[in-house]
Amino acid sequence: MSKYMVDKFIRAVELSDAAVAAYVADPAGVVDAWLAGAGGPTGPSDDRELTPAERDAFAARDYEALYALGAHPYLLWHFTEAVYEHEYTPDSGWRELVERYRAAVAPQGIVDYIP
Amino acid sequence: MAELVLAAATPHNPLLWRAMNDPVPDDLQPIAANFARIREAVAAHEVDALVVIGTDHVRQFFYDNSPAFVVGKAESYHGTWENEVRTFGMEYVELAGHRELADEITGRTVLPETIDLAVSLEWRLDHSYVIPLQYVRPELDLPVVPIHTNASMPPVPSVRRFVALGEHLRDAIERWDSDARVGILTSGHMANDVGGPRTFAGSPDPDFDEAAAAWMRDGDLEGAIRVCSDFQRLLEAGCMTYQYLNAVAALAAMGGRPADFAEVTPSRFASSLFFLWGSR
Repeated sequence: MSKYMVDKFIRAVELSDAAVAAYVADPAGVVDAWLAGAGGPTGPSDDRELTPAERDAFAARDYEALYALGAHPYLLWHFTEAVYEHEYTPDSGWRELVERYRAAVAPQGIVDYIP
Repeated sequence: MAELVLAAATPHNPLLWRAMNDPVPDDLQPIAANFARIREAVAAHEVDALVVIGTDHVRQFFYDNSPAFVVGKAESYHGTWENEVRTFGMEYVELAGHRELADEITGRTVLPETIDLAVSLEWRLDHSYVIPLQYVRPELDLPVVPIHTNASMPPVPSVRRFVALGEHLRDAIERWDSDARVGILTSGHMANDVGGPRTFAGSPDPDFDEAAAAWMRDGDLEGAIRVCSDFQRLLEAGCMTYQYLNAVAALAAMGGRPADFAEVTPSRFASSLFFLWGSR
């Protein structure tokens, strides 16, 4: 388990509008493409690796699982907001996403998120 | 010699940017009024330069390179990030730096003996710098020295290092051969949880808020140090609560004297800190 890499992928998506749009369109494709783009032993320093559980959680936009895996809470919330925002409806928007997110993470308590 | 004429601590909650617009909703009017109070104090003190203490929210600094304290030495800074424009509706800004004051703070050749500071000459400032400036100095016309404190990526500096930072800032400003009038604008949180079990459910820890307001109101630096030495205690008050220590740095910079104004303002959000030390 690598909390560092989980946080690194979150940032790779959340910091950029284009990356958010690409990920929303194809979560599994973007996470696999990201993994394939690692710098390697002789390239620029840019290691990328995720365990199967981490990769699958990103492929499923599963914030409950990512919280359990030790994603940084602040990064995870804003990632969640970014990749679910396009599904808001007049009846279910930001406030409802907050409620769903909190219901998913609250039973887990404070998870050790320090990489 | 330069003079440290004012210190202030405010929230930097970026959700205010969309919520606190005309007409200001009833529950946010006290927050707007407290920002106005500090804006008026900065103007009345005729401040020439601002040291702006904040905490980068894992935008510029990440776990590939996570310094404890960073002092900006750039000529100018771009303000806010693409994800903050998207998420919070913020606006890009440009801010002038103050290289001479930054050099006084870091030393040009050798760092101060009391604290080890990292420096940055290329740094896009996030909402913890831009939001307080937009409310406290909407003209954005004062040169700034931004200082990042790592309060969000453990291991974090201890509360005594925040105290050392504040004390060093006062020393550096007062040793500076200049007639400048300098203010410290610091921002952070009371108990606040973003992404944890008590996300956006009001204050996650009113008891902490009450004690933390009293440390500023009473000038109780030792009380702040005693409780804030317990990282776990602050984490249980919410994963962003450690940013309260930015206010502790301001308290230390003002010699630990009671704030002239200290209010913790409730609203729909986690409670907002407003502390002000003036000299007029």
